[in-house]
Amino acid sequence: MADINKVSEQQNELNEKISKAAKSSGTEIAKALTFIIDDRIYGVDISYVNEIVGVPHITVIPGIPHYIKGVINVRSKVIPIIDVRSRFDLPEKEHDDKTSTIIITYLDIQVGIIVDQVQEVLSVKAENKADIPALERVNNNKFIEYILETNDSIKMILDVKKLIFDDDFDIEAVAAE
Amino acid sequence: MAKVEAGMEGMVDMYLFETTTLIDQLDEILLRTEQANEFTDDDINEVFRIMHTVKGSSAMMGFENLQKLAHKGEDMFFIIREDPSKMKDIGFVYDLVFQMSDLFKAEIEEIRSNPDYEGTDFSEMIAKLENGAKMLQGELEEAEAAEAGEHPAAAKSGGVEAANENQSVIRVYFDQDCKMENLRAFLLLNRLKESFDVIDWFPKDVENNSESSATIQEDGFLVTLNKADVDEALKVVEQSLNVDTYEIVTDEKEESESAAQQKAAPAAEQSAQSAPKEEKTAQAKPAAEAKKEAAPAKKEAPAPAKKPERAPVQQASSNSGKQSLISVNLQKLDQLHDIVGEIITTESMVISNPELDGLKLESFQKAARELRKLTDELQDSVMSIRMVPLIGPFQKMHRIVRDMKQKLGKNVELVIEGEDTEVDKSIVDNLNDPLMHLVRNCMDHGIEEDVSERIEHGKPEKGTIRLSATSSAGEVIITVADDGGGIDTDRVLQKAEEAGLLTKPASEYSEREINNMIMLPGFSTNTEVTEYSGRGVGMDVVKKNIEKSGGSIFVESKRYEGSSFIIKIPLTLAIIAGMEVRVGDVIFTVPTSAIKQSFKITNNQIIYDTQGNEMIMLRGECYPILKLYQKYNLETETTDFEQGILILVEADGKKVCLFADKLIGEQQVVVKPFPSYLSRYNLKAEGLSGCSIMGDGSISLIIDVNNVIDKQ
Repeated sequence: MADINKVSEQQNELNEKISKAAKSSGTEIAKALTFIIDDRIYGVDISYVNEIVGVPHITVIPGIPHYIKGVINVRSKVIPIIDVRSRFDLPEKEHDDKTSTIIITYLDIQVGIIVDQVQEVLSVKAENKADIPALERVNNNKFIEYILETNDSIKMILDVKKLIFDDDFDIEAVAAE
Repeated sequence: MAKVEAGMEGMVDMYLFETTTLIDQLDEILLRTEQANEFTDDDINEVFRIMHTVKGSSAMMGFENLQKLAHKGEDMFFIIREDPSKMKDIGFVYDLVFQMSDLFKAEIEEIRSNPDYEGTDFSEMIAKLENGAKMLQGELEEAEAAEAGEHPAAAKSGGVEAANENQSVIRVYFDQDCKMENLRAFLLLNRLKESFDVIDWFPKDVENNSESSATIQEDGFLVTLNKADVDEALKVVEQSLNVDTYEIVTDEKEESESAAQQKAAPAAEQSAQSAPKEEKTAQAKPAAEAKKEAAPAKKEAPAPAKKPERAPVQQASSNSGKQSLISVNLQKLDQLHDIVGEIITTESMVISNPELDGLKLESFQKAARELRKLTDELQDSVMSIRMVPLIGPFQKMHRIVRDMKQKLGKNVELVIEGEDTEVDKSIVDNLNDPLMHLVRNCMDHGIEEDVSERIEHGKPEKGTIRLSATSSAGEVIITVADDGGGIDTDRVLQKAEEAGLLTKPASEYSEREINNMIMLPGFSTNTEVTEYSGRGVGMDVVKKNIEKSGGSIFVESKRYEGSSFIIKIPLTLAIIAGMEVRVGDVIFTVPTSAIKQSFKITNNQIIYDTQGNEMIMLRGECYPILKLYQKYNLETETTDFEQGILILVEADGKKVCLFADKLIGEQQVVVKPFPSYLSRYNLKAEGLSGCSIMGDGSISLIIDVNNVIDKQ
């Protein structure tokens, strides 16, 4: 298992882009950080992303849903960690040196998500953006906020809130703590 | 934050903190003086200073509405400063200022929490304050007119003064609702004039001013006569139509109700109603100075000055500028706290480092002990910085009781004990809301509405709500108790049943369980929602808030006797001594304070109970065994009792033996609560109270022995 603090070059580059993610002018609406699960490309809005780290030693916590693997130590902070594959009900995969953890913050709540591989920081423009009709928001599609079409490939940009929280989660109550 | 003066954004936090502190001080002074019914010079100056400071800083921040509000408050107190006696008779001033204080608090909260803050319009309150000021002034002006002219003003309390010893004043009240009092007074006056020498009378214009009737209704009709004539005059008065009561007002027998007259009393010469302004301020200075010197003098003893002053009861709160206090950003304290925690953990790793095993290191050990002593001191010191006495939130409850007393019309007294008990600041912050709700609860539901109910059960008419705090064994116990009607367990059970909250047959519930049902979510026996309670979201929120601080709350109640809400909060568990144990891949920390003993056993020592659960016999006592790997579903190779280790733990009188793979070692660990994201999974109930970061960066789970035992 890689040391959480040993971030690969690629991850380093991305981290730089993340920290510099200011809104650029023009038709760009947002920026998204894309990552790969199996052979599919997903992404999250960069405004939620703190940083990318390696794969940490996970401390298991009993009594919680299977997709929350446990907690990890990121610079002396205890952060819960979600395995995106598990969240999508996909079979788990052994971690390799490409596996990364994306640290996300939503409303003061920090969570790490494990992905097979991080890809790039993409510009989201209105003309590339496409919505998913409500009818199709079933199963795993419920996590998708919209679709990005660039360079002939489709990236599914995820709704962070839905990714992290179950439907009946009272976010405001938790965030207020 | 919007609407802040340009360049002042960085100051907002400071402004909010300072203003909140000042308004709290204001409340405290008002409550104290209202109850004691006296307002010293120091009090007035303090209030004035507070208003003035708030006005200034609000102006600086660009909060015009608050500035105006404070300005009006300041105006009113300027008038009061001129004649403090007014404060005693005028309840409406208290009401107004309390209202103003509430508006301030609400507005400050708005500024703090609302990013789209827009100033609230206070014109209504401002108008009220202006009127209040006018009313105050109206009284004052009348009193001033009193000493100026020959016609002493008929202020609320006083009467017309006799100019010399040979005269007397009669006050006559006519029948209520007899109407046209002024004309009746005029007739009486004429009759008196027929037989006697009427020296003076008031109101002067009874003949032609019908509005003087109001004055006569309030303060009576006053007539000054020669003393010798008084007896005869009274006979005339008695015989007059529609006369209700009358009395002689002399200058010796000043009416004792009038506080203002009390002030005037010891004056050598015959005192005018209120001393002329100039005289008063001149008197005030020496009085104030004398008062300060006579500091320990008790309330009743008049200071040796022309104007009797009473020594201030409490000067503590007014000296905020003079104490050496510094306000510190809570974040900095948290950082300091974290670092100290890490120092302690790391120190542990250095001193108990396995590489030192077996080495004879006398000098090292000595130095290590010194270091240990110092870090302990450091830890204590840092912990105590964050500790604040509960007096803050407790005092705030006075305000709640006062407001509710008026609104509900119940006669209740709030008694406070142990307010010096200290608790971590973060916990105190979280206690405010629950305490408020509990006190309101007691006032609304606890204390009986009908006083006869109380008397029926042998209780005094006045209800008592008792707020007390004590600390013991690393815990603070706060109790909110009332001597009201107690909880009606029948009604509670019925309501719970209706709301579908029962998990077992109604008859199986103990009284204790029923009492504690009121804290279930969605529970409320109120049929209607009042401003204060009844929505059924109160008690369970209180419970949640308290559990968030790591505490617990339960209810005790006896019908017709009263109820108590008991809150237990651990005093900063932040750093504890723990024994690290391994179970499979996971490391648990068992608080050393809970460990009685640890030992290895052989299989033949195991006995089984009727359900096949393992138990062990130890010194004649039987203890159940809890296999940690089984409880938490962990994979481990050590399932055989002979290979692992048993740890006997105890909490709340209950004992159990935990079975783990092996002991790793004792360590001081910094307790970190689980991330809030995991709060919904109620890990506490699973027997896990938090986690801790080990020296090597891994995370260990801290066992909550109490809960581990309960949920087997």
